[in-house]
Amino acid sequence: MAGTGPHGRAERRSAGELESEVLATLWATADALTPAEIQAEIGGGLAYNTVHTILKRLYDKGLVLRDVDGRRGAYRPAKDAAQLTAEAMHEALDRGPDPIAALQQFVTGLSRQEEAALRDLLGGSGP
Amino acid sequence: MRIDVYVPLVLALLLTSIAPGVGRRVSPGLAARVLVTAATLTAAASTWALLLLGATLIDQAPAVIAEAGEEGRVLPEPVPETVAVLAVAALAVIAHRLLHVLRARIATRRLLLRLCEGHPPDSELVVAASPAPHAFAIPGRPGRILVTAAMLGALEPAERRVLLAHERAHLTHRHAALSTAVSLAAAANPLLVPVRETVAFLLERWADEEAASAVGDRRTTARALARAALASRRARPGCALHFSEHAVTRRIAALQTAPPPVMRSVGAAVLALGALPALGAADATSDLLHLLAGTLPGL
Repeated sequence: MAGTGPHGRAERRSAGELESEVLATLWATADALTPAEIQAEIGGGLAYNTVHTILKRLYDKGLVLRDVDGRRGAYRPAKDAAQLTAEAMHEALDRGPDPIAALQQFVTGLSRQEEAALRDLLGGSGP
Repeated sequence: MRIDVYVPLVLALLLTSIAPGVGRRVSPGLAARVLVTAATLTAAASTWALLLLGATLIDQAPAVIAEAGEEGRVLPEPVPETVAVLAVAALAVIAHRLLHVLRARIATRRLLLRLCEGHPPDSELVVAASPAPHAFAIPGRPGRILVTAAMLGALEPAERRVLLAHERAHLTHRHAALSTAVSLAAAANPLLVPVRETVAFLLERWADEEAASAVGDRRTTARALARAALASRRARPGCALHFSEHAVTRRIAALQTAPPPVMRSVGAAVLALGALPALGAADATSDLLHLLAGTLPGL
């Protein structure tokens, strides 16, 4: 399922926002992706050249690896910094809820009834 | 001074009672901004009122007694001494509560900066290679967005865009500063704690509305919230129930209707309610100064 459709508005997204989106796409999957695959996944009328430029920038920053899994032109996210961040985050979470409680988390917990209602909302495509 | 000085303390209750209604009917951006402003003014005024009450103890100070005694004046006693002593005790508690909030904020800030270590400074998205779904904004210049790999993997492409737009809205509209302001207000005046909870919810609603307009689709925004909530639920099945337990479903329900209107008149009314205690406190201040000046010309 690709995110194509009437909702993508590539022309209104800044370079920084597109970088985040491409990086998020690479992290969302276990597979290495080619620029064409990323383009199909993101959708929203994003030009192939734009995807290519963004990947080059991410590569220069050391955020992605190129030519991985023996596939020429396939990209994968670089894991080192992300693993250190995860360790630091879990260390803080284990210490107690205080530091994270002050954060504005994207979502909070659910009751059993609410869970069922949300599954209904997502319909067949839900997890 | 007799009545004015108590006005700021009572008006906090009025603000607390109207906050949920304002939050439900007015666009979340406007509601959050006016509630934070009114709460901050109210808390500042009520703290100042306590200071004034405490200041009436000044006639107990040996230096003041000596000077007044020489001139043969009777010292004013605008409020009972017990009230003044209680006010001083309340001020001590408030100072402690304010420090607690500030310390917690600084600790969080330090943690967030540590989480960004090793990531290029000019990159907005900071990914944590974690199997637990989390996402939050990291305020700063520039602000950044931390999302775990598990959260990214749980969402579909358009929903990931919603998530990024939501966190970006927290950063662009300085929600962290608003949240700190209302937390300090609630620490200074515990009657405002419900206002703090309302604002916390409104900041999420505000970011949801911004995300919906950035992505151009309320339905996708609602689905993103639902999927993220379900993923979090699976990851933390034994998690204790929390006061904001119903927040996600209420946010989703709000996205399934039209966006609430920007009602400037209601906003202005809330601001006026915040200005009243400040006026009361100002009036009480001039009364006290007047009293003291009349007794002690040297003051």
